[in-house]
Amino acid sequence: MPLYICNCRKDVLDASSKREIAERITDTHCAVTDAPAMFVHVAFFEEAAEFPLEDKALFVIGNIRKGRSGHQKHEIASTIRRSLSEVTGVDESMTEALISETPASWVLEGGEIMPEPGEEAAWLAAHQSKQH
Amino acid sequence: MINCTCIVQEGQAPDLRQSGLQELINRFTEAAFGEAAQITWIPVAPGNGFTERKPSTSSVVSMRASESLKPDRRESLLRELVELWTSATGCSVSEVVAVISDPEPQ
Repeated sequence: MPLYICNCRKDVLDASSKREIAERITDTHCAVTDAPAMFVHVAFFEEAAEFPLEDKALFVIGNIRKGRSGHQKHEIASTIRRSLSEVTGVDESMTEALISETPASWVLEGGEIMPEPGEEAAWLAAHQSKQH
Repeated sequence: MINCTCIVQEGQAPDLRQSGLQELINRFTEAAFGEAAQITWIPVAPGNGFTERKPSTSSVVSMRASESLKPDRRESLLRELVELWTSATGCSVSEVVAVISDPEPQ
């Protein structure tokens, strides 16, 4: 967690653009939230019925830990839309990015309940000490 | 029915079903919530999953509880869910993200 799902029209993304978008989404999430990259998952689908696409060419839905500010969520979504457009050449109006939230305490990752936003450093220290 | 979504790297999904994971999840939701699981398997094609910017081996198993859960109970269930997943698949705990949500507010 976070998990960013990118659903797109067929043939909009090639392997290289998927890699670049995954990097940009990860960089955006980490820059805006200060969360470590190890938490960031990105998955791509073509016209998957399970995820929204509507009339867009690319639609990202990001599920992040609850507790980020409205400004942070807006910045993540708008930066992702810009990245989608820059990487693919698709007009930004044909992209969408929405952010949903899940309480950290509802998620187990790496064998531990996820930290609340802002408590990642203590969580990582505790997690790493258990690994050794 | 307990809705459960499993996002797995492609190639894992058929194996996971054969490994009896589907039945284990079903038993888990029956024991935890008294209801069978309605599982949706969503495979991620090769080259389409990334964790920490690198090709991913992570799976995400997510379900919605039939009742609001207290923190201790939820953590216990999450640990049980990850344990059954890792035991059945051979994945490590670092390759599993488990989510148990409360019911949607009415």
